[in-house]
Amino acid sequence: MKKEIINLTVNGTLHEISVEPQVTLNEVLREQLDLTGTKLSCGAGECGACTVLIDGKPELSCCTLAMTANGKDILTIEGLARDGELHPLQKAFVECGAIQCGFCTPGMLLTSKALLDENPDPTREEVKSYLSGNLCRCTGYVKIVDAVLAAATEMNKGGK
Amino acid sequence: MSQKLTCVGKRITQKDVLLKATGEARYVPDVRLPGMLWGKVLHSPYPHAKIKKIDKSKAEKLPGVAAVITVEDAPKILWARSFRDMPMAPSGALQRADEYILADKARYVGDPVAAIAAVDEKTAEEALELIEVDYEQLPFVLDPFEAIKPGAPLVHDYAKNNMAVHLTPPPFLVKGDVEKGFAESDVVVEEKFFVSKQVACQMETQSCVASVDSSGKITCYSPCQLAHPFRRELGKMFNVPVGKINVINPFVGGSFGCRLSCHNEPICVLLSMKTHKPVKLVYSKEEDFISIDTRTPHYYTVKMGFKKDGTLNAMNLDVTTWAGGYLSRAQLAGGITLIWGLGHYRCPNMNGSCDVIYTNTTVAGAGRGFGNPAIMWGVEEVVDMAAEKLGMNPVELRLKNTKQTGEMANMGLPIESSYIDDCIREGARAIGWDEKRGKNKGGNGTLKRGVGMATMTHCSGAWPLLIEHSNAFIKFNEDGTADLTVNPGSPGTHIWGTLSQIAAEGLGIPVEDIYIVTGETDKTMFDLGSHASRSTYVTGNAVLEAARLAKKQLLERAGKILSESPDDLDVRDRQIYVKSNPEKKTSVANVCSQAIYNLKGDSMNISGKSSWCSHYNSIPTAAYFAEVEVDTETGEVKILNFVTAVDCGKAINPMTVEGQCEGGVQQGVGYGLTEDYVINKNTGAVESNNFTSYKMPGTMDMPETTKTIIIDKPDPKGPFGAKGVGEPGLVGVAPAIGNAIHDAVGVWMKDLPATPEKILKALMEKSPQQD
Amino acid sequence: MFRTLKPFGYFEPKTIEEAIGALSVHGAKAKVLAGGVDLVPRLRKRQAHPEYMINIQQIEELDGIIKETAEGLRIGALASLRSIELSPLVKKNYFVLHEAIHSIASIQVKTQGTAVGNLCVATPASDVAPALLVLDAKFRIVGPSGEKTVPAENFYLGVGQTVLQPNEIITEILLPKPQAKTGGAFLKLVRTAADIAKVNAAATLTMADGACKEARIAVGSVATTVLRVKKAEGVLKEQKLDLKVIETAARAAAEEVKPISDLRSTAEYRKETTRVLVKRALEKALERAKA
Repeated sequence: MKKEIINLTVNGTLHEISVEPQVTLNEVLREQLDLTGTKLSCGAGECGACTVLIDGKPELSCCTLAMTANGKDILTIEGLARDGELHPLQKAFVECGAIQCGFCTPGMLLTSKALLDENPDPTREEVKSYLSGNLCRCTGYVKIVDAVLAAATEMNKGGK
Repeated sequence: MSQKLTCVGKRITQKDVLLKATGEARYVPDVRLPGMLWGKVLHSPYPHAKIKKIDKSKAEKLPGVAAVITVEDAPKILWARSFRDMPMAPSGALQRADEYILADKARYVGDPVAAIAAVDEKTAEEALELIEVDYEQLPFVLDPFEAIKPGAPLVHDYAKNNMAVHLTPPPFLVKGDVEKGFAESDVVVEEKFFVSKQVACQMETQSCVASVDSSGKITCYSPCQLAHPFRRELGKMFNVPVGKINVINPFVGGSFGCRLSCHNEPICVLLSMKTHKPVKLVYSKEEDFISIDTRTPHYYTVKMGFKKDGTLNAMNLDVTTWAGGYLSRAQLAGGITLIWGLGHYRCPNMNGSCDVIYTNTTVAGAGRGFGNPAIMWGVEEVVDMAAEKLGMNPVELRLKNTKQTGEMANMGLPIESSYIDDCIREGARAIGWDEKRGKNKGGNGTLKRGVGMATMTHCSGAWPLLIEHSNAFIKFNEDGTADLTVNPGSPGTHIWGTLSQIAAEGLGIPVEDIYIVTGETDKTMFDLGSHASRSTYVTGNAVLEAARLAKKQLLERAGKILSESPDDLDVRDRQIYVKSNPEKKTSVANVCSQAIYNLKGDSMNISGKSSWCSHYNSIPTAAYFAEVEVDTETGEVKILNFVTAVDCGKAINPMTVEGQCEGGVQQGVGYGLTEDYVINKNTGAVESNNFTSYKMPGTMDMPETTKTIIIDKPDPKGPFGAKGVGEPGLVGVAPAIGNAIHDAVGVWMKDLPATPEKILKALMEKSPQQD
Repeated sequence: MFRTLKPFGYFEPKTIEEAIGALSVHGAKAKVLAGGVDLVPRLRKRQAHPEYMINIQQIEELDGIIKETAEGLRIGALASLRSIELSPLVKKNYFVLHEAIHSIASIQVKTQGTAVGNLCVATPASDVAPALLVLDAKFRIVGPSGEKTVPAENFYLGVGQTVLQPNEIITEILLPKPQAKTGGAFLKLVRTAADIAKVNAAATLTMADGACKEARIAVGSVATTVLRVKKAEGVLKEQKLDLKVIETAARAAAEEVKPISDLRSTAEYRKETTRVLVKRALEKALERAKA
């Protein structure tokens, strides 16, 4: 199939990319841009490991054709830290023991970022509900939820 | 253990965790080598079929395809995915080499029959559909009881009636006279149970990157937990010296037992050999579900007899383990159910048996807890049934029969330490046992609440069933930091952090100064690998011994500099000081630097190396408590509160211990309530082949509260008193929930998973609805 | 078994006319793409084999706007499930729809997926469809011969089948103004929270003078399509609603459904819990109608 040129702004950098129509955003990020922090697990939209933020909203890169992301702004895990400074969510995940094997972590972090952008002071129940599309086999989710709440507290304190 | 600990016991984050938070951590699917091709495997769609002919010409002609391989291209050597000749102390070599790299005959839906290497994944997948396989479908058998009937289709010619192996308990667990024991019991309970084929559901699918260069050197990036035994098996398989093979474990996206075997790695290596290029092979989640090892499913009967006062008097277990098309570790995971089940409580009369039967289903092997979660489901339900008949509190009944320090443990060695009674008492207090047990049956309309419990004993490594050998090497760098070389990969258990804490404590330097060197068989000395909750205990002891030796060298060098006897020196805050005169000191960095850059001619790299073999096995114990709410009209179970009280000796890192236990609760909830591996009876196909159809718990399915109580009493043999804790988190979760369901609504669930469908059916059978 | 998608042609129409034109040319060989959360996994599993993909996200005449109109509420074809869930208008006047979408667990699926896309998949397990059925929704459909409006109730023909022709698209969902003293509720049973329904039920009740003026009950995952259970509705009409009447209606609902056994549940369980869910949905709806 014919390749087409699309423009993606990924982590603040504009990329002109040539893709075939059936190529997913996940493949572009991993195979063309070498941003392997975005994972692929189930390929069925069930596990959330491939989550990225598209125009600030959490979406599944495995279920998104790259063509449909043309012109959009994409944040992957590689873009979450700014100027070498970890995002408070990253710090909290590290400090709270929210990371074990780490394969779900990029998706968890980005979904959590979308949550805190939308709702800076969530309850425990709201965190659990927002993360219900992200599967984890290691942690039992306890420390993940702890970490999101800790990050929210930290961010609210910092007035960010 | 009176020494003051500065690092062990602290909640310290393992260094590399940071890389997982930034996306920098590279897992096998993230590895990219120059000139790399993509591999793809063709799996059998039939559960049992002769492969008459494979026409690969169309696939080979597709532009971009570099190789198409079948069994014809594979070495004519049978291999064992669970690795041959692993030294088994009492029973000899039980691992059986029973498969080729690609199937000679398809033995289950998912059996790899051909493979492709192509320029990219898309081309490889396109070529897959061009391979024409002429199968002759054979009669197949999915059910173990059907499989042993005369005339049943044979999965392997060597195994008559598909019986892979018939096992009896080890001699130390055959005791007294069971029949007499039951006859002399006041209450005897006998029940049948079934536990299903739980899937590891590790988030990173099975993957491999293999590169065979012109010298014949094999580099294999693999998530395999047993890197050194795997390397040896690869050597045998391809007739290559072990020294020419480097198995690399990069970051591993979860394991839970499935990585004890290797799966698509030999295929990937073979593709690289054929194409002279590196090859990457990443399974889809569906391929994971049908063709990597699942937990072993079991049918079994538990029979227990008690005296009036609650003393366990006789016990018998008859287990049927349902292996798949190949044996993997089903014979071990099956046989060891007898050890966990019979070895848990004190009992004068006991016996058991275990049949391991081939079927045309996905291969069953190791799963976290290795048979312990399976058997304790039934054993702990039967204990509660007996408690009901005896009119005893299940807490008291268990306390009456728990084994204590010094008694014989499940593996036939004396118990080094057991604080199971503390687990039971503290857990019961935390869940509110006395206030809640049997108290809320009539309340809240259709919602009934109940509490239940379960207990278990596990192991720290598999000695004396298996050799438990680890090595550790510590060398001091010139700035006073230290490199710790060990092998265990990091499937997410934070073992590198745990071992670093042990090393830091042993050396007397801060944990920040420890740098782990690991993950490559080329760089590391032998280690059996991560299994059986062994790494903290066995590798940990190796590390502690290496630290002792390195510290000895360090103090000897320091003694020369300070003109003091090494015995009078110690290390604290990166300084080596004279114990009687702490003001007299020199820095660790100074000693190390002077040792390396030494102009006097006696240079040395201060180091310590230890080879460690466990000759004892300290058993972790635990008690689990669940509070549930059952909807009597829908059979739905909500878990309100869950408490795990764990005796893992001294917790090297309490945060890690909690993490293991909390994760165990997720897997146990899934095992108990939702996870069902469904095979179509007519086709043999796996119907639950992705997260859409196979449901593991998400955030909303977890208990409202989850609490881990760490008893934290040191064991005499573990490093700083630690015992294994990687697997226990899961073991007793399901039975605690099952017993809580009974407390809530009065029905016993015997088959896992205990779905709302089964619970509602049981409720309706118990009290038919009145119209 | 696969990780990549098979190649297909891709078209991004800018107008509805262009889209209809492209769909008319390619017929069943083409697939309409909006959110992709259902379609892309099916492409990966080789369960759908389109030669052409028509991405309707760039059509200027289509939008995701949710707004009040003289007749009630209008939801644009591109409205994501999440935007409908969060809409204050939906929460205020069409709570049963909010509740149905809220029951879908994954934020990502709701962010990416559209309500219209969910409807067009025509799964009998849709959570959105029963809510729309009891809200008496209509779908505006555009095709080569112009525009028409189809009641949600008449939309479904079978599993994966609707009255929508391959060259037609839904442009809007239309909901009538809510009546006074109306309450609604949605309930479902699942294996885990993030799952499609084993059984679901939606109900709306409109009360007048202490009696039921209008009752609508729809159930999902218990027949080849989501369906209204009209015998059950009939039991309630003009009645004073006490527990006994509600139980009778719930039993009638269970009689009307024809569930099957599959991976997610059994036919017996689905029949029995249809009764339970309908009963509970009616009780909740009644409570809300009175409030």
